[in-house]
Amino acid sequence: MTMRRIEIDKNRLLSWGDRYRIYLLFAVIFLIMAIFAPRFLTIFNLTTILRTTALHGTIAIGFTIVMICGQLDLSIGRIATFSAVLAMLLQPQLGFWLSVPLAVAAGAGIGLINGLLVAKAKIHSFIVTIGTMTILQGLVFTISGGNTVSLASQEAFAASDFLSNPVIPLLPVRVVIFILLVLGFDFLLKKSRPGRNFYLTGGNRTTAWLAGIKTDRVLIGAFVISGTMAAAGGVLFAMETMAATLYLGENSLMYVVSATIIGGTIMSGGKGGVLKTAVAVLTLEMLYTGVVLFGLGNEVKIFISGLVLAVVVLYEAYAMYKHEKIIGQRPELIRELERKKEKG
Amino acid sequence: MNQNSTVDSRAVQTNIFTSFMGIVGIYAIAALFILLGAVLQMTGVINNFLTSRNFINIIDSVALLGIVASGMAFVTYSGHYADLSAPTTMAFSGIVAVEMLRFGFFPALLGAFAVGIIIGSINGFVIGKFKANPIIWTLAMSYVTMGVIRFIWVNRQIYPGIITDDVRAIMLFDNIYRFRLFGVISMPLILMIILVIIGQFLLTKTPFGIKLKITGSAKRTAKFTGINVSLVIGTAFLLSALAATVAGLAVTSLSRVGAWYIGEGYDFRAVTAIVIGGMTLAGGRGSIVGVMGGTLVIGIMNNIMTLLGIGTFSQDIIRGMIFIMVVGINAKTLRSMGRDDA
Repeated sequence: MTMRRIEIDKNRLLSWGDRYRIYLLFAVIFLIMAIFAPRFLTIFNLTTILRTTALHGTIAIGFTIVMICGQLDLSIGRIATFSAVLAMLLQPQLGFWLSVPLAVAAGAGIGLINGLLVAKAKIHSFIVTIGTMTILQGLVFTISGGNTVSLASQEAFAASDFLSNPVIPLLPVRVVIFILLVLGFDFLLKKSRPGRNFYLTGGNRTTAWLAGIKTDRVLIGAFVISGTMAAAGGVLFAMETMAATLYLGENSLMYVVSATIIGGTIMSGGKGGVLKTAVAVLTLEMLYTGVVLFGLGNEVKIFISGLVLAVVVLYEAYAMYKHEKIIGQRPELIRELERKKEKG
Repeated sequence: MNQNSTVDSRAVQTNIFTSFMGIVGIYAIAALFILLGAVLQMTGVINNFLTSRNFINIIDSVALLGIVASGMAFVTYSGHYADLSAPTTMAFSGIVAVEMLRFGFFPALLGAFAVGIIIGSINGFVIGKFKANPIIWTLAMSYVTMGVIRFIWVNRQIYPGIITDDVRAIMLFDNIYRFRLFGVISMPLILMIILVIIGQFLLTKTPFGIKLKITGSAKRTAKFTGINVSLVIGTAFLLSALAATVAGLAVTSLSRVGAWYIGEGYDFRAVTAIVIGGMTLAGGRGSIVGVMGGTLVIGIMNNIMTLLGIGTFSQDIIRGMIFIMVVGINAKTLRSMGRDDA
């Protein structure tokens, strides 16, 4: 009897650890960096980490929602670049308060096209987003003429100042916007009906449809959110730095995919969360900054990011493998048999 | 008609036309594009389209892509989307080959293929045995490989001329890309055709091909039929890595430099070629010959756009649109014929 009790506790501990894995990882990496990495706990360093996190993290919000729906959006990085370039080009004519919403709306429009092609034309999202990715690549270079678009007007300075001034120490306006977005979407996903529909659609599309959910609309909605968030991340980043390079969102895909997976969202859909993804982005960013602070090069950074992703994927796949082996069997019976085997 | 016979409402009436389209498929589109080019030339909009020189150029420009795609097609066929580690496999095998040139030409080839086999086996084992998600796993694998390459060679590029003084080895290595049969047929084209023939043979005439088809169309069924699904999927990934190795050797030989960035962009381009060539991401449908057709269509399309004087960036836009359109039409046709789709 006591034996059984311990076993249950162990399982509960394991499942608890699995659920809050990303927070544990975050705490461990933060502690390691804080203790060993030189100049890690400085205001400047922490703010830099938060700023980069705000770029990739905002993009990751939308990606996570698309992935919860069981789809894939590879065009996010390019949407971020495109919207950033668009916002920079429009700002001289329209000013800050008009150009930003317009550029974000453009991102939403691209998301809508993605969503319509996936949900209504029933083309695989992997293919659709490779297509839009190629199209956007061309568009970015066409509208920008192949150069980095930068601004140096009075108004641009004002906008940049507004976005980068800390509201409270460590938290510039852009980071605050990011945090609000994360908390907002997390609440939406967990507590509201539309949010729950994302999970249900991702879990099993046919069942969701039979239960009366308009799955097409849910999918389109997910892609629109993804486009909007990618655009918002890119635009705000460009506005703060007053320049949109044509490779702004190039690394985002790698970042965002890694973070979403490490954060516990699964590719088949129906599981995951925005908050966890955001924490994962922050964790990865700390890890990368730590690598730089230790004086190691870019190659180590790439290697580590791959290794972390590989370990997490392998761990999850192995857990699934073990789980599938038990399906159709009776675990209690097997445990009892094993116990008997140990005894005699 | 016999009244008692049950009628499956989903059964499709195939006639000569549909079965013809099923076989020819992508080549019809290729012919359409050639026709478009011919019309454009007749009306005097473009010149030099219908010349043998131009067709050789078209094929040469996409032969490398064809090599990568003909291997990756096995992965798509098995229902595992794509092998995103192909570009780094190309880079790694290329750079190892250049480094190994110091021992001679054949050890270099051996080294390159060893790299391909190792990467392919790891991919195949993890995805086949543990059912890891293929896209995410191969992405992770490509970062790890990229990190290893850049760590070992410290972000440097290496040249065959610096590695060794063996002129014969360097010449042989250069000829991996530059050799021309009868002075016309280039080596990448020969390699592509050989790989396509081997691939098509494997896919249609061997037990492995049949197992792969069943695995791709219905994995659970395949498992219950007694097929070693893990092994079949693993082999698909191994074949993909081997084809990537061949392409990596050719690219490295072309640029005469081994570097980490070689092969960039070949992952998504190969997927494009495969999917345009009529393979569906759901798996179990399509053929390697079709994939070669898809590659040719991409080549002809690029060629016409370049001759029309369309800029590189506008070409991207058009290419993306045509890609989505072709795949959309393909999926719609399959659905209207009552077959499931990707």
